[in-house]
Amino acid sequence: MSARSFDAVVIGGGVSGLACASYLAKAKKRVLLLEARNALGGLCEHIVLGEGFTAPVGAHVLTALDPRVVRELKLAKHGLKFAQRDMALVGLGDRPVTIVRDVPDTVRHIAAHSAADAAVWPRYRNELFSLARTLRPFWWEAKSPRPLPGAALEALERFERLSAAAWLDSWFESDALKATLAFDAGSASFEPGSALQLVWRAAQEMSGLQGAVSWPRGGPAALVAALTGAAKKLGVEIQTGARVARIVLHEEQANGVELASGETIAAPLVFSSLSRRRTLCELAPGGAAGFDALSALPKRGALGEATVLLALKALPNADETSRFVVADRLEAYAAAASAARAGRLPDELVFEFVTPPGLAPPGQHVLSARVRPVPAAMDDEMKTKLGAKLVSALETHKSGLSKQIAAVEVLSPDDIATRYGYNEETDMLADWTTRLMTPIPCLLLCGAEPVAAVSGRAGRIAAALALGAKR
Amino acid sequence: MTPFVQATPFHVRAAGANRDNAWVTRNGFTLSRVYDDTSEEALSARMRAGVGDISWRWRTMIEGPRAGEFLARLLTGDPMKLEPGASMKALWLSDGGGVRGACALARFGRESFQIVAALEDRDWIAQAASAFSLVPREIESEGGLAILGPYARAALTAAGLEADLEPLAFRKLFWRGLDVTLSRWGEHGGYELWCKDDDGIAVWDRLMRAGAAFGIAPVGLAALDLLDIEAGVARPGRDYMPVREGFAKDPSPLALGLERLVDDNYKSFNGREAWLRSRLVEKRRLVGIAFDGDVPASFTPLLRDGRRVGHTLTSAYSPALRHAVALAQVEVSAVPGDTKLTLTLPPSRDLPELRMADVQVSGLPFLRAPEQIAP
Repeated sequence: MSARSFDAVVIGGGVSGLACASYLAKAKKRVLLLEARNALGGLCEHIVLGEGFTAPVGAHVLTALDPRVVRELKLAKHGLKFAQRDMALVGLGDRPVTIVRDVPDTVRHIAAHSAADAAVWPRYRNELFSLARTLRPFWWEAKSPRPLPGAALEALERFERLSAAAWLDSWFESDALKATLAFDAGSASFEPGSALQLVWRAAQEMSGLQGAVSWPRGGPAALVAALTGAAKKLGVEIQTGARVARIVLHEEQANGVELASGETIAAPLVFSSLSRRRTLCELAPGGAAGFDALSALPKRGALGEATVLLALKALPNADETSRFVVADRLEAYAAAASAARAGRLPDELVFEFVTPPGLAPPGQHVLSARVRPVPAAMDDEMKTKLGAKLVSALETHKSGLSKQIAAVEVLSPDDIATRYGYNEETDMLADWTTRLMTPIPCLLLCGAEPVAAVSGRAGRIAAALALGAKR
Repeated sequence: MTPFVQATPFHVRAAGANRDNAWVTRNGFTLSRVYDDTSEEALSARMRAGVGDISWRWRTMIEGPRAGEFLARLLTGDPMKLEPGASMKALWLSDGGGVRGACALARFGRESFQIVAALEDRDWIAQAASAFSLVPREIESEGGLAILGPYARAALTAAGLEADLEPLAFRKLFWRGLDVTLSRWGEHGGYELWCKDDDGIAVWDRLMRAGAAFGIAPVGLAALDLLDIEAGVARPGRDYMPVREGFAKDPSPLALGLERLVDDNYKSFNGREAWLRSRLVEKRRLVGIAFDGDVPASFTPLLRDGRRVGHTLTSAYSPALRHAVALAQVEVSAVPGDTKLTLTLPPSRDLPELRMADVQVSGLPFLRAPEQIAP
């Protein structure tokens, strides 16, 4: 039997891989998408959490899905509907603080904490959103059509060195508010540059709303289903359970892949949704990327985000339309980060949780929490402890919750990284060409987002870069 | 931790022979710069037999199931076509195509290779090897002597060693109770004898005793360096700074006269893309210049019709040629064939004016390595 051959092979059937494959197929390329696991979805996969419960493992809300992907791949037609266009952000400190899209409404909520903070909120939001708007082409386009305005570049330079904590501190006085907002800055809100993550979040657009956080009907898996539908309609051939053993080179150019089964598939273009490190170190032939390039690869961080999923038999006064951040004060992030760096669980967990609809039998709920920062590597004992700690922290806000738990699942950052080849390294200021091209000709990354998020943008741009180069 | 200075296994004997107490440190080793007279030593290494301490060479073993695969990616020649017991010369380049090092690679066994180089690159090579799950093992407790000159083979034979080796061959020998390796990796037509640290003195004494009939004499580092210049070999750390930072392009193999160590038929080594590009644009070449008079410092400008076209590297007075010689880097377009260039010599106390000296460009090597005279 002669080897199968395609115009392009895409490694990884997550949102990035599916988007990339669809765009290639849209340009009339014959594309094969390979997924190592038995189901598509990657970080948007749902796992079964006991009888009747499913829960998202990676992303538990959508914050950065590229609206152009939704439109151009006609995802709405393939079943993508949003149950919640913009979820309210509720900070559950000593006293709750609620942040919604409506500015006067938010001002009213904040005023209960601090009159001064309430007064500056409109200015803060305006500055954040308008800076995000000017920087949007920088993160959205492979090549920005116009150079960024000078003021935006200046701001970019300033934000490169600014931590989210310091930036929020310069605006607000209320601990609860600052701590709630800081969660969106990622695992290191005290580190220089983390303020830029807040700007990046505000530069995203979900269901037509800037900086919104959405819940698709059916959860992230519904997005995967819609993308799969679109990909298949466009003619992408999809093969699951097909683990790629290595990328095949011909005369130092990527020229196909070899599967773990031993089958070789020829393709003059290879896309990988795995991280740069995993693609170049594990899939490409040893050293093919160049020894200096390999040693310059970013290291995986020691900190990360853990997933804790609870199946609940009941949840009194459930709020399916908000996301909750549990953090009393900014210092909790710093304390958690230093504990995590030392390989310990923080004394005071900082986490976000949602209780979205449609994942559990009627009357019951799934609570999905993301705890960060925590140590990237965690043993089983530490994971059990994390689960217990989280439940006891939740108990203070929702008493009686611990009695309702039917199942618990805790995944460490490393669990998720191993399972999905998740890209942790981020460089928010690199241009897309640097981020997606590799030293090996004809091998591109298609999942390397500036900030780890479900977006599809990297896939869209990778396809465009490759098609542009081919022409 | 590496000590500040290290004595080689032959130090005791070298100290005894070193009449001027003239020492120099290379790669952390204390070595005799000159035993008595550099010119004499260089001549004995060219006309009779000379023994030089080369324990300072960096040697590292690459061993493991993927050793061949790693070296095939690292070096500018194909190590897989070496039979066990054979060696080759090659370079290793940075991603940007700059020279990181030059080595002799010896294949000891199917999965066992040794790199011998003039300058270490241990961290980078260890990092690169880790992509192939290999850990290089440095050789630290072995000394080496270079036995040079037309009577080298005769001296070795007289000492009871089978020295019928072709250039680039090597052999492990059991020499009256000592485990030694005899190789011919050098540029000067001689041999290298590698032994365990503890055997150093015995090896030195046996060689000196057996070689006395051939006028064998210890050769200092200054004379060994002079032989390098006469042979037209640019050395790292002396003639050029090898690449140590990531993606640097300079120095390119062409500018160092090392392009013959890059195998054109070999298609998969680190930095090849960059090498193919740099080959087209590199204007500088390594040439030799010969002149009478003072020895200029490195980087003395070379002029043609008043325009600067290059500079000297190491220079020395060659007793065999009876004039001064230097390695030089010049723009290739400026020196078609045999050209005369002008060397600007800085003022000295004796001659306070800036002097211009005429120099003759010559091909390399200045002198071929002496043939071995069969015993």
